Amino acid sequence: MTRPILTASSAAVANDRPLLEVRDLRTYFFQDEGTVRAVDGAGLSVYAGKTLGIVGESGCGKSVTARSILRIVERPGRLVSGEILLRRNGTVTDLARLDAGGREMRQVRGGDIALIFQEPMTSFSPVHTVGSQMIETIRLHQRLDKTAAREKAIEMFRLVGIPRPERRVDEYAFQLSGGLRQRAMIALALSCAPRILIADEPTTALDVTTQAQILELLVRLQRREGMAIILITHNLGVVAEMCDEVAVMYLGRVVEQGSVDAIFHEPRHPYTRALLRSIPSIHAPVRTRLPTIAGSVPHPYNRPPGCPFHPRCPDFMPGRCDQAEPALLPVGRGQHAACFLYEGVRP
Amino acid sequence: MTPAPGAADPRPRLLEVRNLRKLFPIRKGFLRRVVGHVRAVDGVTFHVERGETLALVGESGCGKTTTSRCVLRAVTPTAGEILFRTTEDTVLDVATLPRRQLRPLRRQMQMIFQDPFSSLNPRRTLLDIVAEPLVANRVGTRAERVERVAELLRLVGLRPEYMRRYPHAFSGGQRQRVGIARALALSPRLVVADEPVSALDVSVQAQILNLMLDLQAKLGLTYLFVAHDLSVVKHVSDRVAVMYVGQIVEMAETEPLYAAPRHPYTEALLSAVPKPDPRSRAQRIVLEGEVADPAHPPSGCYFHPRCAYVVDRCRVETPALEPVAPGHFVACHRARDLTLRGISSPPRPGSLDTSHRRDP
Repeated sequence: MTRPILTASSAAVANDRPLLEVRDLRTYFFQDEGTVRAVDGAGLSVYAGKTLGIVGESGCGKSVTARSILRIVERPGRLVSGEILLRRNGTVTDLARLDAGGREMRQVRGGDIALIFQEPMTSFSPVHTVGSQMIETIRLHQRLDKTAAREKAIEMFRLVGIPRPERRVDEYAFQLSGGLRQRAMIALALSCAPRILIADEPTTALDVTTQAQILELLVRLQRREGMAIILITHNLGVVAEMCDEVAVMYLGRVVEQGSVDAIFHEPRHPYTRALLRSIPSIHAPVRTRLPTIAGSVPHPYNRPPGCPFHPRCPDFMPGRCDQAEPALLPVGRGQHAACFLYEGVRP
Repeated sequence: MTPAPGAADPRPRLLEVRNLRKLFPIRKGFLRRVVGHVRAVDGVTFHVERGETLALVGESGCGKTTTSRCVLRAVTPTAGEILFRTTEDTVLDVATLPRRQLRPLRRQMQMIFQDPFSSLNPRRTLLDIVAEPLVANRVGTRAERVERVAELLRLVGLRPEYMRRYPHAFSGGQRQRVGIARALALSPRLVVADEPVSALDVSVQAQILNLMLDLQAKLGLTYLFVAHDLSVVKHVSDRVAVMYVGQIVEMAETEPLYAAPRHPYTEALLSAVPKPDPRSRAQRIVLEGEVADPAHPPSGCYFHPRCAYVVDRCRVETPALEPVAPGHFVACHRARDLTLRGISSPPRPGSLDTSHRRDP
């Protein structure tokens, strides 16, 4: 199911083209109580050597988006529509059309796109050493014998800054501290030199000083390997420090997308604005009240009609926002927002 | 050994903790012999004034939660004093008080929990949950309790009509409000809040923090606020105590502690917080290594293996928590000769902040 799109002449501009492009992705969960539209028309572009941040509150669909890209959405969830275009070796593959359990998809997973999870404790097997899990992964993707794969695993451990790697490979996940475990997870993810790394809340379970170590490590590895990173987080501080591009999600949709500077300094969507104002800041004066967003994220069964943010929106326009869903339209240089406030306004 | 001279104390001390220690035994083998101790809290001294918020901050395993549990006597401390001033204006030592006398005291100190999902019984209505402390302490008749619950729900911003509903019908933020209403049911003097907003979404965090500030102003509450998020702490605390491996390494009023920290660990902690502004991608101080094991702490200053300013003295001699300025206490041999980097207070990024915009 691979369709070649790129010709030799257009390969020169391949660098400006996204490595991965997600178009109008819809992943629904079909349950007895109703259908949860976890991802409902999300679009993203990921470029080599750049970091795309996906931010949003719980239930906004950021993790399901990542799982959809890797085709590891669990039942009753299903990819309903959309395209996931992965550019590799001069061809474009639509991951949405591949068999989720098929050989090609298995090569993409870990080979082209790797994933690191939030909780490194549960993502390692407790009954195998971390080394043996790495060797298994390496040998699935590369033609190496056991000794060479073990060498490779030790080398990866050294690369991610695990002290005494030749001893650590023979330890179990529970013998490692949270920070070391996350480093081992990163080593595992990078062992097959993926071009895209999806990091789903990679530092949420860690302390701030450990978080700083892991973020520093990701930046260093990205510079070295030139890979693209999709960083999924609810921590806007982490986004500001790490990302080049940011997509803000709300109830399964990307409501605003743009450069990190534009998102933080010229946010256009009312949700982005409200979110930025409401985060506790270390720069704030002592003991100050925070501006809040009214209400809370609606339950996915009670998704509001029209723009999903309208019941909480300070700029709500009756008769417009509750009637139709706004499309993601350009509002500035490389910046897009899905809001009727910018309808008809030329950027 | 009590820091903070009482000379210029405007407010009476509600709580005074002196040399608090809590050791957990490590048992091994068939006979479960004690082979060592985890020094969860290792000689902690602080006080909380009436009506203020003292934050205990630090990374996981630093002993902040154990300290707060000791204050409530949810765990019995190994050594030390926990002096609590009761409504009758007598001072009792919570650390050694017999169980029988502890019970009436518990009405005066209550707790707000971290996780609003597991801290509310799913089989009981809001009325049952919020009225539980009243029932347990035999306060009022049933009708009076219903009246009080309605009042409490209004106080925390929930509609009293909801009192017959079950927790599942509420969002995380609303459930945390229920938890707060329950904590306030007996009109406590001291509220211990252990990570009250860390399980909540960002937009809801702000609502709960504002509520806590409002309730404090309205009811004159005193908070012992346990948290790891230094941004959150700045929004609610009058004073902050920074803990590392069971000890307080720095304690000061919030503003000076953030603006000009005097302990290298506080400096590193502040610098590690990701700042929500891409234009101030700071030069982070990345600490090497990991938090020391509280079962086998290093010699001298516990922080010395990770400290950028370490000198020979730090490896052998344990620094004491000493005043370096009025109300500012630091446990560091080099507190007086180091100039450390703090957090400035520039305007927040955001759409309303036009002064911060780029030129067209």
